[in-house]
Amino acid sequence: MSIEDKIIEKISSFPTLPIMASKLMGLLNDAEISASEIGRVIQYDPALTANLLKAANSAYLGQSRSVDSLSEAFFRLGTKWVYQMSVSSLIYSNLNRPVSGYELSGEALWRHSVAVAQMSDIFCEQLKIKGSGMVFTAGLLHDIGKMILGEFVSESFEDIEAIVINEKIPFEEAEKRVIGMDHAEVGGMIAERWNFPPAIVETIRWHHQPEKAAIQSDTIDIVHVADATCLIQGFGIGSDGIQYKLNNESVNRLNITSKILEQAASELVTVLEDIDMMTSDKPAAEAVGRL
Amino acid sequence: MPLKVLGISELQVSKTPGDVLITYSLGSCIGLTVYDPVAKVGGMVHYMLPLSKIAPDKAKTKPGMFADTGVPLLLTKVLELGGVKDRLIVKAAGGSELMDQNKVFNIGERNYLVLRKLLWKNNILIKAEDVGGNYSRTLRLEIDTGYTTIKTREGESEL
Repeated sequence: MSIEDKIIEKISSFPTLPIMASKLMGLLNDAEISASEIGRVIQYDPALTANLLKAANSAYLGQSRSVDSLSEAFFRLGTKWVYQMSVSSLIYSNLNRPVSGYELSGEALWRHSVAVAQMSDIFCEQLKIKGSGMVFTAGLLHDIGKMILGEFVSESFEDIEAIVINEKIPFEEAEKRVIGMDHAEVGGMIAERWNFPPAIVETIRWHHQPEKAAIQSDTIDIVHVADATCLIQGFGIGSDGIQYKLNNESVNRLNITSKILEQAASELVTVLEDIDMMTSDKPAAEAVGRL
Repeated sequence: MPLKVLGISELQVSKTPGDVLITYSLGSCIGLTVYDPVAKVGGMVHYMLPLSKIAPDKAKTKPGMFADTGVPLLLTKVLELGGVKDRLIVKAAGGSELMDQNKVFNIGERNYLVLRKLLWKNNILIKAEDVGGNYSRTLRLEIDTGYTTIKTREGESEL
């Protein structure tokens, strides 16, 4: 069996998304997500509700009243906030494993994924781009291919790294050359198998090479730039490091300036502290440090 | 050895023998160490952006986020712990970049330029530095000795 066949076999046996997560993400296909729809899905999950309230109270730290019901969380923090926190928390069970090859320990892949999703959302807000739910989900899943490709990267890490250093090419290109597939390609296939809409599949597939996508889209450009920002700022770096290319066309198409970029990066640090409250009992500052 | 881990935008100082300050994943961010070998006090900051004017409210709660607020605060705190300005040994690491990045993304370079300017204004020289490139770094400072190391994909060495 060739390496590619082995990878494809692993994709077909890769666990499906938690049912709650796919239900919530399914709501995204509707134009507007309503609070009541989301509420209907998540109210039966007591663990999720508890996590949400923990995060809500962290976001509301210093306020006189505590947030102690789901409807209050919706009211005080907004539908989008509840949606983002819910999918981030639900996807945790899929992503909280160490990933060999990329040397991502424990929660590192989940943390990087959440950072990219949040950074994508911050860019959408700043640039007034609609459809942030789709962008958020694509950001959250952009590196899912690493879960499968990791063990193959592990077997050939020295060969891949040597090509990256000697030829100064991006890590995913070296992956493709040595293994026959790269993590974005594998991720796109997983998303396809999970029946995600083409816009999300394409974004995952081309998040390092937006110029190769059949159709240009804001979603691909945003997730690409958000991933680049999180890598260069050090939010969740693995053994592949920051050996990736920035597509300047994406930056130009979105009209991202230094000021927008820096404001987004500073905003991210604060946002991630709230999210961390959901999965950790440690102080928020320390948690951000583990990113 | 008690390892004190600094996250992004954090700042720490120490005079406790045996303490080791460490920060991981320095990309375009810069890790700066300040150490007085006589008083045996030192500190580190892991700042991510050059100037606080882009988000003054963030600078108030997290001064370590920016060069222009984090670096002066680090120097002040080391002096408060008993450091003497003329004896301070200052080292810097980070400021790297992505492949092919354009000017919008040159945060690493701007982080470094602002640092140079700040230290020059304070008459402080950088004793050693490891900046630029396309890779990330881990920076470590031993409070006992001031021994400073840098770890990259190529291995660990003294800075």
